[in-house]
Amino acid sequence: MDHRYSGLALVFVATAIASLVMVLPAAGQALRVDDANATEPAWTGARTPWGVPDLQGIWDFRTITPLQRPDDLADKSVFTLEEAAEYEAARVASLHKDQRVEDGLTPETDVANAYNHFWWDYGDTLVEDRRTSLIVDPPDGRIPLLTLDGQLRLDQRREARRRPAHGPEDRNVWERCIVGGNAGPPITPSAYNNNVQLFQAPGVVVIFNEMIHDARIVPIDEGSHLPDNIRQWRGDPRGRWEGQTLVVESTNFNGKTAFRGSGADLHLEERFTRVSIGRLLYQFTIDDPKSFTKPWSAVIPMKATEGPIFEYACHEGNYGMVNLLAGARAQDAAAAALTTGDPQ
Amino acid sequence: MRIRQTTAVSYGRWQAENCAMRRIRVVVGIGASVLLMLSTVPVAAHHAFAAEFDANRPLTLTGTVTKMEWINPHAWIHVDVTREDGTVEQWMIEGGTPNTLFRRGVTRDSLMPGTIIAVDGYQAKDGSFKANGRSLTLENGEQLFLGSSGTGAPRDGLDPQERRRPPS
Repeated sequence: MDHRYSGLALVFVATAIASLVMVLPAAGQALRVDDANATEPAWTGARTPWGVPDLQGIWDFRTITPLQRPDDLADKSVFTLEEAAEYEAARVASLHKDQRVEDGLTPETDVANAYNHFWWDYGDTLVEDRRTSLIVDPPDGRIPLLTLDGQLRLDQRREARRRPAHGPEDRNVWERCIVGGNAGPPITPSAYNNNVQLFQAPGVVVIFNEMIHDARIVPIDEGSHLPDNIRQWRGDPRGRWEGQTLVVESTNFNGKTAFRGSGADLHLEERFTRVSIGRLLYQFTIDDPKSFTKPWSAVIPMKATEGPIFEYACHEGNYGMVNLLAGARAQDAAAAALTTGDPQ
Repeated sequence: MRIRQTTAVSYGRWQAENCAMRRIRVVVGIGASVLLMLSTVPVAAHHAFAAEFDANRPLTLTGTVTKMEWINPHAWIHVDVTREDGTVEQWMIEGGTPNTLFRRGVTRDSLMPGTIIAVDGYQAKDGSFKANGRSLTLENGEQLFLGSSGTGAPRDGLDPQERRRPPS
């Protein structure tokens, strides 16, 4: 590894070890084979013809477990069976109901609240171990506070969002069909397209997300990252095997993307471990000292699915971008009319 | 008046889901915790509906489907609406993403040209003939509910605490 990263690496390794200590109990719960799965064939650790663990397949990561634990559940990291059933039923009912009618939403919020559950694909269940958050470290299940730099960047972004967009560059990269959504990186569950396919060839792993039809090509054991001045939308990934686990470390992000407040200097570690023929455990750690006051980690179990992965040709008919910019111009015209007194 | 084309899979499945939804009665055991958790679950769509459609332009349209564009990131339903003076307006109604619709059992044959629908929604901010349909009603009274439960506001990742868009 480049010596420039050695200090960060020490911090990262220490954090990763500490995080793993935190993660493993939760992971152990996630891996538990309960009665419902008792008939599932035990994972025998199949390998590819070239001798590495075989992670290939289509993996479904839908869940209604939130990334962050709600404040008032600070002391409850895991639901009981009864609480989990109540939560799942309440959550699904909430997704189905007409909030304008049942909650008396204002028209503004009604417009913003797009669709009901028929049009989404969140799934209906919590993660198997009934955690109340996907985040496992810090132990409170919450994203750590932003640094001053991170907060300043956020404030600037919020300020820009308060005005009508001048052009597409003012809108986020997901709306522009470039990258993002649940594809990350890192991968996180969202409203739809919660599927990822893994392909392997000697010396390479491809992480292909349905969202934005995003494919990351990860070289394995290829050495140090790109020079610091070369920046990429999805960062520069480097993979290696640690036993049965594929570890992907990504740096060199371009700063035009962000994950919950991260910046260009994000050091992202992702870990993919196939724990049974039908289960893949995905973990990630966000280490970005310029953005967050400490690193944080999440664990997301994935299930094998026959798929298929559908094409998501986002640019195909992205009328939304045209429409919202047309809306912005209409807002400008209305504001100008107020100033001049001329009705539009 | 009869519906000229029937929808195959989608409405039957939707009806079943909708009936099941009505039957749901949640006993709140951990009450406030669950409610708060529900209120903080982040959801996300592809783009900000609030920036695209105007809450001050609610509308109800009745017209004839001319085509359904089965395109990403959102499907669009095209509807001819005949006004009292005989002029025909060509409207576009925004729907969900094709991948999700297909997994729900909706296909490109589910809403065929010639189907008469009533749309309740909000018009585009620029006044063009586009709308987000919050509900579609078929001629026989069946209603296909489009919203609103999730937020159309996308999260771009810059705000770690970004949640639902607060009521305006």
